[in-house]
Amino acid sequence: MESDQKTSGRIRLAADIGGTFTDIAAFNTSTGRLHFGKTLSTPDSLIDGIATGASKAGAAFSDADIFLHGSTVAINTMLERTGAKTALLITEGFRDIYEIGRVNRPDAYNLFFQKHEPLVERALRFEVHERLFAEGDVYKPLDEDHVRATCRRLREERVDAVAILLLHCYANPAHELRVREIVEEELPDAFVSTSHELSQEYREFERCSTVVANAYIGPKVKGYISGIGDRIRADGFDGSFLVVQSTGGLYDGEQAQRQCVRMLESGPAAGVIGTQALCDALGMENAIAFDMGGTTAKAGVIHHGEALTTGSALIGGYERALPIQIAMMDIFEVGTGGGSIARIADEGGLRVGPQSASAQPGPACYGQGGTEPTVTDANVLLGRLSPDRFLGGEMTLDVAAAEAAILDKVGNPLGLEAVEAAQGVLRIAVTSMSHAVKAVTTERGLDAGDFAMVAYGGAGPLHACNIAREMGIRKLIIPRSPGHFSAFGMLFSDLRYDYVRSRFARLADADFADIEAVYAELEAEGLAEIEKVSVTPERVVIARGADMRYVGQEHAVTVDLSSDLFANEDRAGIKARFDAIHDLRYGTCAPGERSEIVSLRVTVTGMLEKPLLEEIARGDATPPSSAHTGNRPVRFGEDALETATWDRMALIAGNRIEGPALIEEHASTTVLHPGDTCEVDAFGNLVISIGGSAS
Amino acid sequence: MNASPVKSDPVITEIVRNGVIAITEEMKSNLMRTAYNMIIYEALDFTVGLFTPKGETISIGLGLPMFIRGMAETIKAKLEHYGVENIHPGDILLTNDAYITGSHLNHLTFTQPIFLDDELIGFACCMAHWPDIGGTLDGITTDIYSEGLQLPIVKYQRAGVVNEEIVDIIKANVRLPDRAMGDLRAQLTAIGTGERRYIELVQRYGKDQVYASISDIMDQSERAARARTLSIPDGVYEAESYMDDDGVSISDRIPIKVRVIVKGDEMTVDLTDVAAQVKGFYNSGITTGHACSQVAFKCITSPTDYPINDGSFRNLTAIVPPGRVISAVKPAPMRWWMTFPMTIVDTVFKALTPAIPDRTIAGHHADLVIGLLNGINPKTNEFYIAFIGPTGGGWGAKRTEDGVSATVCINDGDTHNSPAEQLETKFPILIENYNLRQDSGGPGEFRGGLGCENTVQARADLMLNAQVERMHCKPWGLNGGMEAAGNAVVLRANGTWKEDYPNAKLLTARILEGDAFAVRSGGGGGFGDPHKRPAETVAHDVRQGYVSVESAERDYGVICDEAGTLDVAATEKARSGT
Repeated sequence: MESDQKTSGRIRLAADIGGTFTDIAAFNTSTGRLHFGKTLSTPDSLIDGIATGASKAGAAFSDADIFLHGSTVAINTMLERTGAKTALLITEGFRDIYEIGRVNRPDAYNLFFQKHEPLVERALRFEVHERLFAEGDVYKPLDEDHVRATCRRLREERVDAVAILLLHCYANPAHELRVREIVEEELPDAFVSTSHELSQEYREFERCSTVVANAYIGPKVKGYISGIGDRIRADGFDGSFLVVQSTGGLYDGEQAQRQCVRMLESGPAAGVIGTQALCDALGMENAIAFDMGGTTAKAGVIHHGEALTTGSALIGGYERALPIQIAMMDIFEVGTGGGSIARIADEGGLRVGPQSASAQPGPACYGQGGTEPTVTDANVLLGRLSPDRFLGGEMTLDVAAAEAAILDKVGNPLGLEAVEAAQGVLRIAVTSMSHAVKAVTTERGLDAGDFAMVAYGGAGPLHACNIAREMGIRKLIIPRSPGHFSAFGMLFSDLRYDYVRSRFARLADADFADIEAVYAELEAEGLAEIEKVSVTPERVVIARGADMRYVGQEHAVTVDLSSDLFANEDRAGIKARFDAIHDLRYGTCAPGERSEIVSLRVTVTGMLEKPLLEEIARGDATPPSSAHTGNRPVRFGEDALETATWDRMALIAGNRIEGPALIEEHASTTVLHPGDTCEVDAFGNLVISIGGSAS
Repeated sequence: MNASPVKSDPVITEIVRNGVIAITEEMKSNLMRTAYNMIIYEALDFTVGLFTPKGETISIGLGLPMFIRGMAETIKAKLEHYGVENIHPGDILLTNDAYITGSHLNHLTFTQPIFLDDELIGFACCMAHWPDIGGTLDGITTDIYSEGLQLPIVKYQRAGVVNEEIVDIIKANVRLPDRAMGDLRAQLTAIGTGERRYIELVQRYGKDQVYASISDIMDQSERAARARTLSIPDGVYEAESYMDDDGVSISDRIPIKVRVIVKGDEMTVDLTDVAAQVKGFYNSGITTGHACSQVAFKCITSPTDYPINDGSFRNLTAIVPPGRVISAVKPAPMRWWMTFPMTIVDTVFKALTPAIPDRTIAGHHADLVIGLLNGINPKTNEFYIAFIGPTGGGWGAKRTEDGVSATVCINDGDTHNSPAEQLETKFPILIENYNLRQDSGGPGEFRGGLGCENTVQARADLMLNAQVERMHCKPWGLNGGMEAAGNAVVLRANGTWKEDYPNAKLLTARILEGDAFAVRSGGGGGFGDPHKRPAETVAHDVRQGYVSVESAERDYGVICDEAGTLDVAATEKARSGT
């Protein structure tokens, strides 16, 4: 259709809105050039930040054929509890399951523990007179009159959003669909969401929490997305407006207005997609995506070229978390970032994080009145951050304040010199971040040493060489513009639709025709969604999987399965695949045991044309002299070594730098240790080989 | 940095502290994700840990909070049994001796010695609950021999070679041998993980440095525990409560008396006056007597300090003479060991309330409130064992906070209930409801949490065993707060509910197709005078349905309608009248 004329010679524009900054990446498909813009987020009108950022990147909406967007609006609405007045309609007898939850008490000895707090108060949770059996047939028919009576209550209560959760809807969605119709008739202005549209997987509390979250954030996210759509079209944009999901895949802006909960973690997911794009460009199979900012560090994994995803996540801290049961990038997060505070605990131990100095007052070295020593202060004290070139020189760092804070709160209590204390703080931060990397590799049976690490986020390049050493990682890549990496990643996303449906069957006597029918139905749904999107993918790829377990187990593992295994009814082949994945993940399997299928999964991907990465100017191994900005002492191990500093923007492809060295750019500094070597690749990435001996 | 082998380094100590917590967490997640039975993967009825070569606790991954001592005592018993010189690389030691673990025969405890360069550097250990260990299926037991297979301390594996005869003995004695072997494999995975990761840690930082760090961590924990004990006024504090009965002598109350002595930075918990061991299966071993003291002590002195380690308890003395319900001796029946200890812990909090009212908590529902089912599943024609729950009940209010509703009792921690959608798929039952019980929380200035009701209909005939306590000894309030609803179990036959049972111990009830049972968990006690609770807060509780209009008036002196609209004048009048 019209998309044909739009695919050449135009701009692909990506905007990632975070809490502090809005990042723009603009890719010109005719010149192959990539531009970035960064601007402060404008909380009152986020779209203004996008427009400012776009103009900084030299791009106009009218020149763009695709606008890609990720935002924290959904997660913030949930965490800050600023969503709509929402009601829950739920199967009779189950009004309280959303409040009861899973009854667990993670903090075992804390008498002052707290539970999760529902997004819907009990007074707005109403029962629906109906019931299905587990098999999907009707035990108690739906009482439609009662639903209508309930709707009158909802009108009186002036609710803006309605979530619908009926038991066993994945086996038969008829009751959820009918309740939805009635609610839409009775409350035409309400945002209505049914659980089976989001998750067709068993576990009523988790599915309930998912559909309630969607309804709760729905009106706000819908208004936000449609507002952006209206604004960019008013500015002359006539292309496709696509939103990044928590899987890193894209969906249409229209779809994002209904299935809002799918974009909760769009920013972090896009960073992993960026890592995947680098893997493609550099011919790497496996990589760890490592993202470190001010308060947290996150790790994700590319394995055999694929980003690893998970079927659910907990939002808002384990003890009080609200579960979301949809596909997401599998990212592990630890509470260690540049702003993490070091302190001596009551009993005398040294702790780093999870408390953070955040942006205000910030680390002591920011000179904004902060007196708590942070990881950033430790870096300043060790010479790793340049006091006068921070943020391109926009902010001068107060070394004396950093030293005073570290000495006062860590050094003196432990009887250590300030520099020793700073080294200790840094070392603890590094091991704690290494736990995040271990969580996504070692604990899945993967050897981190077989992976390259791509480090980004403001603080990622500063710590990456330390973490790589700790984990036995030998190759490290600092991408171009590590502070814009999520926006960069969006440019490489594909349309993606994930489906899951619980279908319990023992493998030995599973009805393959039935399974095939479920797969076909889910695939058709995905293809239909892709049809609706205004951009035409180059090709569509369908991936099938199944959650499987041994008979009697509860936790299932997701096994990717090729279509021919099903076409050939190859039960032994499916079983062998499951055994192998179980063995890889847990170091044990039971080939002699029976297995069963729990849920069927389908991912339908509409592959979009990818930008070709722009090559930068090429030179030889010796960097241009203009790139060398000076020398200063930096503490590595026992000694302070005279260390060269380099301006990253002045480096060209082929340049080699031996550690120790600091490579500085606007919002990041890459630290090379003695023994490390760095080469600038054709695309401007820093490719670092970690030296073997130094520690 | 420092070359001296014994001087610890505060930075490495912190790294080792985080490291051992991460190791026991990974052991835990590997066990959960590979286990076969719901009691492990949902109820988290297990505990994993790392221990020194002497059996001292370095870090425990929970699991089961009340099993805080079980593994350490088991390792010490194994060390004594074999002598350290007879424990070799590749050995795996096993027992389910209930008098050693202090609990019941279902707790199979596997221990792997960890060797580095032929030197014993520690132990990895995993206890997990198997759903069946043989013995009588239904009803109450009155000695250990009816409770199933007893495995004394044995070597499941010698120098890397599995003793297949032990495997055969287990398989011959349990009703679900496939499941048992699946859980056994999961436990071996967990201890194997612990061994591998601990060796990596020791290799990374050096044995001497790691030992020094562990010693430091324990010293830090001790300092914290002493400082927080010192802040409790010196004195002798006493409290009493009781258990409903022992399931054999119906309605014979069983007295619980505790005495807590605080002197300086030391605490003694004296359980001498707890009742003698009982005829029914509610006994536990002396390890659990000590665990009761430790759990109460940790809640008061170092609730959120990790890792859980032995340093935290150096200033605690527990007096537990043998032959009490929590220090029972052979052949006392032990199958339902976990109920009495919870009430003892609650009673310790009650005793300490006059001294530290802002650090204790009113009584909680103090029972798992579960229904155990067995029968033949008509879909598969296979025998099954299932359980409903833990239902989660109310927790006590505190001096500054309401109690939490619908949360598992103190015996259990990160324990999950089972989704109805899963239970109904696996077993021939239909969950009719799972809701909060209005008015079940004890009224108070701070209200106790609410309990739940869970009603289960049989879709095929089945057997129910519910051995629930604390129907009569209801969760108590503190400082003028009122008591909560107690636990209960009730049955429905041919559409008629029967609720007037003398206790909540429905042992061996046959539930026919279409009939139902309900487990009801109690609430938590209130704290402070209910008339001091702000009227708006009470009205809010009424609007939410947590408190009825009637209770608002009767217990709080607050007059409002069901929508929570307050009658200010009537409330003032009602409240001034009392």
